[in-house]
Amino acid sequence: MVILKEGMCPGINEDFIKALQSEDIRTVEDFVSCNPEELAQKCSLSYKALVAVRRVLLAQYTAFPVSGADLYEELLSSTAILSTGSPSLDKLLDSGLYTGEITELIGSPGSGKTQVCFSVAVNMSHQLKQTVLYIDTKGGMCANRLLQMLQTKTPNMEEQMEALQKIKVFRVFDVFSLLACLQNLRSNGLQKASVGGGSVKALMVDSVSAVLSSMLGGKQNEGMSLLMQVAGEMKMIAKEFNIAVLVTNHVIKDGIGHLKAGLGQSWSHVPRTRVLLQRVENAETSSLRTATLTKSSRQACHLIEEFDLCHWSEERRTSISGKRKLESSKP
Amino acid sequence: MEGTGKTETLYHMIIRCIMPMQNGGLEVGVVFIDTDYHFDMLRLVSALEGRLAEDLKEGDCSENEPEERVHSCLRRLSVVHCNSTVQLLLTLHYLENTFSSQPSLGLMVIDSISAFYWVDRFNGGESTVCQEANLRKCAELLDRLRRNYGIVIFATTHAIMRNYGSDPGVSDVPGSSSSSRRWRSAESATDFDKPYLCRAWQRIVTHRMLFTKSHVSKDHKQVFSTACTSIMTKGVKRCSFHVMEDCIKFICDK
Repeated sequence: MVILKEGMCPGINEDFIKALQSEDIRTVEDFVSCNPEELAQKCSLSYKALVAVRRVLLAQYTAFPVSGADLYEELLSSTAILSTGSPSLDKLLDSGLYTGEITELIGSPGSGKTQVCFSVAVNMSHQLKQTVLYIDTKGGMCANRLLQMLQTKTPNMEEQMEALQKIKVFRVFDVFSLLACLQNLRSNGLQKASVGGGSVKALMVDSVSAVLSSMLGGKQNEGMSLLMQVAGEMKMIAKEFNIAVLVTNHVIKDGIGHLKAGLGQSWSHVPRTRVLLQRVENAETSSLRTATLTKSSRQACHLIEEFDLCHWSEERRTSISGKRKLESSKP
Repeated sequence: MEGTGKTETLYHMIIRCIMPMQNGGLEVGVVFIDTDYHFDMLRLVSALEGRLAEDLKEGDCSENEPEERVHSCLRRLSVVHCNSTVQLLLTLHYLENTFSSQPSLGLMVIDSISAFYWVDRFNGGESTVCQEANLRKCAELLDRLRRNYGIVIFATTHAIMRNYGSDPGVSDVPGSSSSSRRWRSAESATDFDKPYLCRAWQRIVTHRMLFTKSHVSKDHKQVFSTACTSIMTKGVKRCSFHVMEDCIKFICDK
């Protein structure tokens, strides 16, 4: 709610506010909801003044409609698709991570979500030369591992250091610091955080369920409200600054034994695309994983691709995709 | 619930409204209120292009290039982003002027009206009246807009409340609030279709469509279905559809 204060706009002075308070109107939304004619009669304020103030307040606080054609032009010029570096994952995501959207990775512990985040971050900072913001809530960020991944890509020390510098890490361990971090990023403008000429193109939060799941459950309204606020901040950052947001989440089993994303129904509406990571049973190498597309607005769901965590840029020749294999690979 | 085709259906309707008459459209203006940054313009445009191209094959060769036709359709659409119930309320007041000055506006879509439910509920503290105050004002305003300007309003709600103890097949739910007594439970009532928005909202709703994901058809396409109940007619009307690359294809199974 927005409280009416004097000086908010020309025409609102102390007497004005006192007169409105006598009719129990304290907030902008109460004021705008009332009919100015009735208000003029009850409060002995001039009708003209009321209408003028109403118009200014509406102009200040409403969101303005944008024509569809203009919005489309803007999107065409600003949306980018960021490759993840892994051809199998790119196939699943319809060429990569889209800016302006939230993509979610889900999987049980050890399924490789953090490793996938690292690989995507390394690809973006080294290959695409863009800055990546990495919010670590689990303490799993390990710079040595990033360096190891970079060393397989290039032997040049300087290039490795440059790429490492483009990955900015924020450590937060509870939901309030996460919210504060996101709000700071949004209000200070992300360009301040960019390093060495590249712009910020990706934000990763690993993992969003680690800070939120402890706040949910029981009759706690605050938890759900914080969840929706975190979702709102991430979406605004994604849209306003045209960056791709990648989050990780845990899995739970539903009534029929299928795996689905944690954090409940309300969160499930937030990401635009969702990929489930699983270990491959009885595989020759322990680093094999399968990725299943479980929610997408661009491709049919249940596409499956296999990839190797250790050989990120290679395409798996024995990739399983398409629905023919759906029956045999369902647990 | 999520992933059941609500947004696709909205895009389908928006396209039908903004397309020119010669392509089977209605040429009315549409206002789209986006509360959770969910609006995917690129998807809408790709579906619109597909639909326009399809109709072009049927012999109507106008001089306009396809891009110009897409632009002229998009000019009939306005998009507003709201990030709180207060902003939604104030925007609706602002839009009242727009509706009175542009009679060609015929449709308002709100996706989704339940986006601020949890935030409002927490901000209102213990009192339900406080929690629902803003949404109640929005609902009253929407009803007034509908009556005064004759526009059609579509709003989506995310199904997030579990329907404990619901008995599918029972036409009247005794002992519950007056709002649910007006609705006959659809036979395939799912776990998650409990109406949870405030009473003022339930009162102004005239048609309610419940979207669910059905089976996978023989050619491996996911079938979505929707059941529509209305306060004016008895019974439940059902419809099934596939979501294709460029539009929704309805399945006639009667």
